[in-house]
Amino acid sequence: MKLLRADREGFHFDLSPREKRLLFDLLKFYPRVPAAHQRLSRTAQPQPNDENQRLLDDAVTAHREENKRQILAWLNEPERFKPTGAGHRFTLSAPQMEWLLQVLNDVRVGSWIALGSPDTEAGEKITLDERTAPHFWVMEMAGFFESALLEALEGE
Amino acid sequence: MAATATPAVRPAVRPEDETRSRDDIDPGYLVICWNDPVNLMAYVTHVFMRVFGWNKQKAEFHMLQVHRQGKSVLTRESLEKAEFYVHQLQKYTLHATMEPDR
Repeated sequence: MKLLRADREGFHFDLSPREKRLLFDLLKFYPRVPAAHQRLSRTAQPQPNDENQRLLDDAVTAHREENKRQILAWLNEPERFKPTGAGHRFTLSAPQMEWLLQVLNDVRVGSWIALGSPDTEAGEKITLDERTAPHFWVMEMAGFFESALLEALEGE
Repeated sequence: MAATATPAVRPAVRPEDETRSRDDIDPGYLVICWNDPVNLMAYVTHVFMRVFGWNKQKAEFHMLQVHRQGKSVLTRESLEKAEFYVHQLQKYTLHATMEPDR
């Protein structure tokens, strides 16, 4: 995935056919972080009638539904990816860049949770086997596309 | 010199109203970001810049604090504002919580 240019319209990328397939596959994994993962407080004990936590849960659910709707629209919008000789060209506005980053990071973090939340910074190793390899692959691929988007934003 | 007359009725002493500082009423909430080793450093920096409108230097300072110390206190806000920021950070799947500032 290569940034061609950034202008008023947004960020214009070139995508190889393989990258397009990968990106589409990744988007289908959303949402990947378990719904109850996000907590409002780390110290307060969860209460069954915690209004603030309930409001947060509702907001997260609504946000996810909206993201899912957008992903479906994206995947079914033939005009979004314009074929070029060697691949596809597509444009993302600044808000769409933010949206795609959020979706990809959900997929990445969700895959990491599925791996058992290994603390790789503390030297914990990820053992690859039939069960863990797909999660690891999804986590790494999401990171690849995130890095490409962040690099594009860096030069903004 | 004339003696001062003692009033027959002394003025009532009104006890002061009990007041509480603003911090007692709303102690303020700390918005904290915790380290999840899966998040890319550039991503965390970017999110801080977007959510708080910080410049890159400040965003990187807090990102490194999260990375090295396991957490960073990002801001101290009223309940409503703290909730807003936590929700914004969680939209980006960062591990953010709010804790009363006591």
